[in-house]
Amino acid sequence: MLRKFSASDSFMLWLIALPGVLFFLVFKYVPMLGNVIAFQDYNLFTGIAYSPWVGFKHFANMFTYEEFYHILTNTLLLSLYSLLFGFPAPLILALFLNEIRRAWFKRPVQTLLYLPHFLSWVIVGSIFINLLSYDGFLNTLLGKIGVRTVDYLTQPSYFRSILVGMSIWKEMGWGMIIYLAALSGINPNLYEAARVDGAGRFRQMRSITLPCLVPTIVVLFLLRVGNVLDSNVEQVMVMLNPLVSDVGEVIDTYVYRVGLLGAQFSYTTAIAIFKSLVGLLLVVGLNGLSRRTTGESIY
Amino acid sequence: MRPFRSFSLANTVLFTVLCLTMIAPLVHLAAVSLSAPVYANAKLVTFWPMGFQFGVYKTIAGMGNIWRSMGNSIYITVVGTGIALAFTSTLGYSLSRPNMKGKRWVLRGIVLTFIFSAPLVPSYLLVRSLGMENTLWALMIPNALNAFNVIIMKTFFQGISSEMFDAGKIDGCSEWGILWRIAVPLSAPVIATLALFHMVGQWNSYFSALIYIRDRDLQPMQVLLRSLIVEEEANNMIASSTDVASLMTPEMLKAGITLFATLPILIVYPFLQKYFVKGAMVGSLKE
Repeated sequence: MLRKFSASDSFMLWLIALPGVLFFLVFKYVPMLGNVIAFQDYNLFTGIAYSPWVGFKHFANMFTYEEFYHILTNTLLLSLYSLLFGFPAPLILALFLNEIRRAWFKRPVQTLLYLPHFLSWVIVGSIFINLLSYDGFLNTLLGKIGVRTVDYLTQPSYFRSILVGMSIWKEMGWGMIIYLAALSGINPNLYEAARVDGAGRFRQMRSITLPCLVPTIVVLFLLRVGNVLDSNVEQVMVMLNPLVSDVGEVIDTYVYRVGLLGAQFSYTTAIAIFKSLVGLLLVVGLNGLSRRTTGESIY
Repeated sequence: MRPFRSFSLANTVLFTVLCLTMIAPLVHLAAVSLSAPVYANAKLVTFWPMGFQFGVYKTIAGMGNIWRSMGNSIYITVVGTGIALAFTSTLGYSLSRPNMKGKRWVLRGIVLTFIFSAPLVPSYLLVRSLGMENTLWALMIPNALNAFNVIIMKTFFQGISSEMFDAGKIDGCSEWGILWRIAVPLSAPVIATLALFHMVGQWNSYFSALIYIRDRDLQPMQVLLRSLIVEEEANNMIASSTDVASLMTPEMLKAGITLFATLPILIVYPFLQKYFVKGAMVGSLKE
């Protein structure tokens, strides 16, 4: 008879897991503990052990700086716009793609729509800079029909739209996959019954397809909401320039610029803690709300 | 039936247009980079090169820093993915086995990092104090493992029938032997998928290199691209040399560099696309 649980097996398994476990301790948990520098005046040369403790000073300061509210507003606005326009985009696209029945057309369409997901933000940035700059493609095109030339990249009023547009272009195709997977799981009998009852294509979409997608939508939405104060740093840092920094500076770029480049380690760590607390509260709150209303939750 | 037909038509047109917007920018960049400077300067080039010439690509091929940074990118992609797979599969394997005592706690600790990600400033200070700042290790080690991949790996190993493992045991395999001789060969598809995603991530990311790498010789390609295109160093490069300036405009050089850097992805993408899609499904099952 095989010994199912032996001490030596357990030891061996721990040994195999050791590099991974150590990794999580060192690179995930040590930085989390490192958050204590938000309560210090951290000094690079004396280190955590010898830096003076200052309690909630940086948190108190944070709420008195006007700059903080400014970047908080920028972050929230950018996030809300991308939630409003970027979140539904893949869903709508998937619903429409689902209506295409010819496989020979569907396949290459999917291949092309997924492609931008694999391009780096620098490349995508380069493409959009080429499109939108003062002497860019769009201006050349619009110039031919007599539209005034605008340097879209340096206009604060266009910044957020450009960012949201870029993300939609890059990610809508890829974001669709998860919905397509859910769509393929819908029982075809439902559609057949609906057709027998005389439901048209749009009626089927509204009364069968969408309700079947609700669990997926809710879960994706909840996962997204927890990141409401996170921005896509790589994207923002490609498009950010001094002329648009008034609307373009978000928490993540601020932490990089002021915290790492400006060496204000403690203050920016306090901001980061604030950010993750807000995210946590939102996820827990909305998860509870969703469990009560739609019955769906992520934990 | 009429409204259906017209809807199908409109839908087909919609997707055709969308697909065109996905490739049109790349075609335009290609056309610009292959045109003669006169036409590019006059903004006459749209989707077909005018006054065909290869000057831009000759210049790019002669740029030592592009090749060096590409070497760095290949290095962090290949070695970094190797490290990531070794860590992920070993940890995932142990967590998939019923015999590991106390694995529940390890699993909880890993899932917790989903919610609380490692903060930027303390992570930087950690990497710095480990002496990895300004080395390529900083781009390969701190991002080698993430909770998501470990759980995907663990779930996959759990799906392998336990009779296989028991048979290995009876034949005298240790847990280590089972991992290498049974579990890993049977999970080739999922390992390949994780590898692909990690490789794309390594190849495309630049933020961590921006933070950790000061030495220009260690820059991965995306960082160099960013300084050439976004910080407009390409313009200075052209302005500083008159014989280059007669051959191309900064826009042409930037277009050429962008395409040159996209090429590796464009070449492998069509062949690997179905694995990527499968991988996305593996991820979605978890959620």
